[in-house]
Amino acid sequence: MVRRFVISPCVLWLPLACLTLSAAARTRPHYGGTLRIETQGDPWQMPDGIARRLVLDTLTTVSDAGSAQPALAVRWESQNAAHRWEFWIRAGVHFQDGEPLTSDAVAAALTDVCSRAGAGTCPWRTVRGVGSSVVFTSDSPVADLPEMLAQTEFAIARQDVKTAVIGTGPFRVTGYTNGALTLAANDDCWSGRPFADAVEVRTRRTVRDQWLDLSVGRADVVEVPPELLRQAQQQRMNLLVSRPADLLALTIAPSGPFASREMRQAATLAVDRMALYNVIFQKQGEVTASLLPAELSGYAFLFPSDRDLDRARALRGGATSPPIMLSVSDTSATMQLAAQRLALNLHEAGFNLQVATASRPTVALELQKVHLEATDQGAALDEMLAHFGENGSVTGTDAAALWQEERGVLDKETIVPLLWLPRAWAVGERVRDLHLLSDGEPDLSDASLEGGK
Amino acid sequence: MQNARYNPPQRIMVKMCWAVVVAALACLTPAARAATWEQPAAELAKQIAALSGPGAVKLTIRNESVLAAVEVPAIQRLIERDLRGFGVVAGGKDSATLIRVTLSENLQGGLWVAEVVEGTETRVTMLRVNLGGATSASGPPNLVVQRALMITQSDPVLDAQIFTVGTLARLVVLEPEQIVTYVRSSAGLAFASAPAGGGWVEDQHFAIAHTRPYPRDMRGELVPAQDHLFDAYLPGVQCAGTNTGAQIAVTCADSDDPWPVSGPIGNQVAGSVGGPSGVPQRAFYNAMRDFFTGVLAPGYGMDLPPFYQASDTPRPTGTGLLLNTVDGRLLLIENNTLKPIAGASDWGSDFAILRSECGSGVQVLVSGSGAAAVGDSLRVYEVVGREAVAVSPPLPVEGAVTAIHANNNGTGATVIVRRDAPLRYEVWNGSALCH
Repeated sequence: MVRRFVISPCVLWLPLACLTLSAAARTRPHYGGTLRIETQGDPWQMPDGIARRLVLDTLTTVSDAGSAQPALAVRWESQNAAHRWEFWIRAGVHFQDGEPLTSDAVAAALTDVCSRAGAGTCPWRTVRGVGSSVVFTSDSPVADLPEMLAQTEFAIARQDVKTAVIGTGPFRVTGYTNGALTLAANDDCWSGRPFADAVEVRTRRTVRDQWLDLSVGRADVVEVPPELLRQAQQQRMNLLVSRPADLLALTIAPSGPFASREMRQAATLAVDRMALYNVIFQKQGEVTASLLPAELSGYAFLFPSDRDLDRARALRGGATSPPIMLSVSDTSATMQLAAQRLALNLHEAGFNLQVATASRPTVALELQKVHLEATDQGAALDEMLAHFGENGSVTGTDAAALWQEERGVLDKETIVPLLWLPRAWAVGERVRDLHLLSDGEPDLSDASLEGGK
Repeated sequence: MQNARYNPPQRIMVKMCWAVVVAALACLTPAARAATWEQPAAELAKQIAALSGPGAVKLTIRNESVLAAVEVPAIQRLIERDLRGFGVVAGGKDSATLIRVTLSENLQGGLWVAEVVEGTETRVTMLRVNLGGATSASGPPNLVVQRALMITQSDPVLDAQIFTVGTLARLVVLEPEQIVTYVRSSAGLAFASAPAGGGWVEDQHFAIAHTRPYPRDMRGELVPAQDHLFDAYLPGVQCAGTNTGAQIAVTCADSDDPWPVSGPIGNQVAGSVGGPSGVPQRAFYNAMRDFFTGVLAPGYGMDLPPFYQASDTPRPTGTGLLLNTVDGRLLLIENNTLKPIAGASDWGSDFAILRSECGSGVQVLVSGSGAAAVGDSLRVYEVVGREAVAVSPPLPVEGAVTAIHANNNGTGATVIVRRDAPLRYEVWNGSALCH
């Protein structure tokens, strides 16, 4: 598939995908062993912390095609034009401390999620347990609720007296020492005991340290940032590369120097996505001006991503620009470089930008990397809009309606999508059957180790 | 280190599948190709006309999907023709109305997008298009054995066997959560409601109740029974299928009873019934794992390691029991002695003993071990002395062999193949091929 500007994603992913298609497991997976994974981030961070997926389950999961599949809920039904939903809870499921999973426990966990996240985050007004089912009610229809409930944000968790997180997932927490989170297999997991006996997550490891540990056999799965994918390929690492999973976007506060839409539009037209794509991110991912990846929406090309410096200058006018602060949500060197490149772009249009070395609460511009978990079009757009503080009103897979919704938001010129980036992982030779979830995170519960029992 | 392995198909593979569909479409005649797009072109033209109104327009079309380039002019002609029906005439180079049609796609399939540009205003309409369904046009696996596709389905298959009562043959398919029976369709063709292949049509299905969670690497087996039609063994569960006249009845219950491992060969070779000692052997299955514990009943009075599969095999001195152990060894119990068999390093976890009219008359059908760089394979061996000798070249299988079970009559094997993008399970009946 040829998209504007971008050829390399398919060129890169196709051979990888071909290899993965043909290389399926032939001997049965072995049980046993400890799977060691290293990350730069917090294993519990929302929404993509690696430990969340290992310990917790959601009511539903989503298939590769984006449709909801049973998980802790075995079936569901919408009533009253999607204002009311009923989810039937799987029988015989237990938390890792032996407590049975009940509809009341599910409702309590989801209520807790909403109270922690703040009002307005959850798409329902009430949730309660009724017999073996959980009933959601909402003031407006939520057609995508089954898909939304697959997001780890809505994972079902309990806290014990020691504040350890307890779920129904394939692994349970056993300790956290010296920056390493240890998890043990949940023998009674409703979805089957995982193959590995344990998982060790070493946190806050630099990519350099991760790669070193992989090379000497101290780690089994390590991160590969998109800008280092080519280098990893040259080093002949065993790579798993996801579809686009992270959106690099610039947000513009509609106040101060950017109070007028013309000024925001000028900034939008001044950004040079191709420079970011070619130079900073080493031609990985896809250039975008859309909140959804092209393969998910099919209409991303409708949002022009070309730079128009002349028009940007014309819209900005000739007035002297006050100093404007550009903040970066992520302190990584690559994000700092990207911010500096954007500052240069905007400077060429007449803006006087300074890059802040750390994220600040009130700045005019902020460069963000936003993770997308949903794979259903409607749920994905809702997820992105919610992240940027916008309220979505369209659900389902009506592409035209979703485009209208997205266009309405982007027309405000407060969000400037720049690049969709993949997630990638390098995998040690003793790991078998590791695959990536739809949002690019590794599914460690189905992985096994050579030499396990 | 090697490049990417083990990762199941990502979304790009869906596109590859579409590419296969599109390639298949490309083989159609021009008229047939055009007919494929008649309906969506008409619908899109209707939507465009509703936005633009009648008059002259400039129409451009571009392809951002996996559609072959050869399709695009035909689609453009159809859209132009249908637009004329609404009074919208394409071809006006100087027209103030520009219609940009983009043949795009997303996860649901094709997405045709029309932008109607009039001055500074752009209006958009979209149409979801069926690109032909995600069915592969590629051929059957190239097996080394004679093969016949029995069924294809999206749900996992653990085993499938044909049981005949009187003149009625029933295909019984064991899935993790249900047992489904099929009968031959009278027309000999697959019905729309039946899985593809073999001309079987669904007859009955029975849910399998189980109180304990299944293991992730799910296994199961269908075995003919002495006093009823069949038994189905799953981890922690046993089902019994009985013939009740025109129909079958199935009852299931939690069970830790051992599974029979003396296969059809042992039951049918004269003078060698049921394992080396002549007694049918059963093996205890670890219901939380994917292997047998190594404990046999009644057993041979020796300790055995955990194993994935065991089956009787005729030997010059009677019958032996062949074991494929979890640690990758092939063992033979013969004359109450446990012997290692060499030459099985390329074996996968599953095998089946076949009777044939080739070679010694008894072969072992084995899947690949995964040691090869690419793909799965099937290969036929004979166990000569203490060595497994390949008697056929390894032949590739598209997909992964997830299970091999000897057929009820011992002359063939049920081979389950999992294929991805889209995920589906194929059930093949394989038998040894004489050259």
